[in-house]
Amino acid sequence: MTLQIELNGVNKYYGAFHALKDINLAIEEGTFVALVGPSGCGKSTLLRSLAGLEKISTGEMKIAGQRMNDVPPRKRDVAMVFQSYALYPHMTVEENLTYSLRIRGVKKAEARKAAEEVAATTGLSHLMKRYPRELSGGQRQRVAMSRAIIRHPKAFLFDEPLSNLDAALRVHMRKEIRALHDRLHATSVYVTHDQIEAMTMADHVVVMRDGVIEQQGRPLDLYDRPANRFVAGFIGSPAMNFIPAIVGEGGADAILDFGRTRARLSLAARLAPGLSVTVGIRPEHVRIVAAGEGAFDIPVGIVESTGSATYVTAATQPELTVVETGRGEVKGGDVIGLAIDPQQLHLFEVDTGKRIEGEGGRANLRFLPRAAPHPAAATFSPL
Amino acid sequence: MKRILASVTDGKGFDIGLVLLPLAFLFVMSGLPLVYNVVMSFQEVDMFSLGTFARPFVGFKNYVDLFAQPETRPILVNTALFVSASIAGQFLIGFGLALFFWMNFPGASWMRGLFLVSWVMPGLVVGAVWNWILSGDFGVLNFFLREIGVIEGNIFWRSDPHYSLWAVIIANIWLGTSFNMILLSVGLSGIPKDLFEAAELDGANALQRFFTITLPMMRSTIGAIIALGLIFTLQQFDLFAGITSGGPNNSSNVTQYWAWDLSFRQYDFAKGATISVIMIVFVMLASIVYVRSTRHEVRG
Repeated sequence: MTLQIELNGVNKYYGAFHALKDINLAIEEGTFVALVGPSGCGKSTLLRSLAGLEKISTGEMKIAGQRMNDVPPRKRDVAMVFQSYALYPHMTVEENLTYSLRIRGVKKAEARKAAEEVAATTGLSHLMKRYPRELSGGQRQRVAMSRAIIRHPKAFLFDEPLSNLDAALRVHMRKEIRALHDRLHATSVYVTHDQIEAMTMADHVVVMRDGVIEQQGRPLDLYDRPANRFVAGFIGSPAMNFIPAIVGEGGADAILDFGRTRARLSLAARLAPGLSVTVGIRPEHVRIVAAGEGAFDIPVGIVESTGSATYVTAATQPELTVVETGRGEVKGGDVIGLAIDPQQLHLFEVDTGKRIEGEGGRANLRFLPRAAPHPAAATFSPL
Repeated sequence: MKRILASVTDGKGFDIGLVLLPLAFLFVMSGLPLVYNVVMSFQEVDMFSLGTFARPFVGFKNYVDLFAQPETRPILVNTALFVSASIAGQFLIGFGLALFFWMNFPGASWMRGLFLVSWVMPGLVVGAVWNWILSGDFGVLNFFLREIGVIEGNIFWRSDPHYSLWAVIIANIWLGTSFNMILLSVGLSGIPKDLFEAAELDGANALQRFFTITLPMMRSTIGAIIALGLIFTLQQFDLFAGITSGGPNNSSNVTQYWAWDLSFRQYDFAKGATISVIMIVFVMLASIVYVRSTRHEVRG
């Protein structure tokens, strides 16, 4: 596989504002890459830099092996799908599709044929004579994509293309875009603030924050082994629970602080005694059991049911959310036990937020079983 | 009675009142004079019948007489030239300036605001200023043209029949350019930026973007500004009064100035009204264009 997009030490400044900080990215041909992060993280700036709509301040940018730093957008041969779709309002669908061809001087009949071919694959054939204002949101979205497809560009750039659609259509278009990508074997860069879109669509996810790439890798790797607390909290829904904890005197256990209650767990890897750490627990990795039968008991605060899943939020400080598939019997005010697979816990440094790796490469954490001889391993004990 | 009162304070009556008030105003201040003017163009009017509305009707006699006059044709030609040259100049320079300030360099909006100074100045003042600039013997314009080698001898802008109309046109272009620029600037800023970005990514260079995106997107604004330009230039009276007074020998006379001259200097009220009626037809056509293009604007 050849590298289609290469970024080496790319920086972007807006005056004193440092928008992109030392971005390194290598995207292989045919990869679907998602740039994901909260608003203002620089993901759109990065995409616009790839398109050439923003000029990078330092570093090197290559597309298909060619240095692109100073190449104007119209010569980069990349296509972009805008959040607003940016359809030309004074042109019909057909004219929108053929615009790039007409600009390049392709003959009218030829351009028309190309437009019809693309429209047939995206289901726009019957709308060719309509104007953008006469189309629904989903149809406009399709026109925007078709306008990109017709060009056979070196790379597709998507700037939050689904954020103006309603939820049901978004899920549908998600699949459609991915199917399109698979059919065209094109290189795609997809900007979104929605981690579900990133997880479901992309081969390679790049998580950004404040102009920095926090972590990049395959979606499930990011889910299984988040490099830091930010990525851990950003990837996965509902978000990971973070419980502050302090490593005990021997360095072999940690005390989880739930505010008014605490819990103790043993560590496989030894850490510095007294070190403040954050324990990350994904809501879906906790199982609700009868009180007294799990690792510890908690009082139930709020119970939300979506029909397929039940979200149980514990009345602890900080809150602890648990997801249970199906419909739970749990009610607010109940006391329930929680069973947690220690293999699925994550440990982060408090100061840097960095992941603490255990010896085995996973978070080797384990709640002390209630039957264990350790006296402090009981359930919650009042402070 | 109570119901009517209640409807006025908090119902449909209030809305109707809001509509009726300006309608009444328009009828009294614009509608009646307009109708009066039209009626007068079909009557025989002199100084002695001015005070009464019951004057002898003469049918189209005023119109026939008017077109029989030898100066009518040249003045109509002058008007057409004045209107088209003024609009063309105002629009082209205004569009150029609007595009220039659209680039948004530091201080752009501040400088654009300064340009409006020319538009807020009274026409008579502008006329006086341009009288100095256009002055034949020691005017700046002549000096400038001489220095860059365009002319050899002085042009007597205001008294030479070949140039007198152009003297007013130049001043009028200067006066109306900034208004064109502001309206076109508003139109330009209404075009979404990402359209240009999309076109740029689609391979269009600056010139292609201008002709395929900017111009078509500005269509309704351009229609409105040209219609308004037609209305404003047909209203332009002050500059003629201030610069040439229509002379010499009607060489810079236009219908709007002539109408005033006929009515209030020669006291031929019927002819003055006749010219006004002819002008109303043109202004009405322009208004239709204006209303249509602004309505299109709303529809997006």
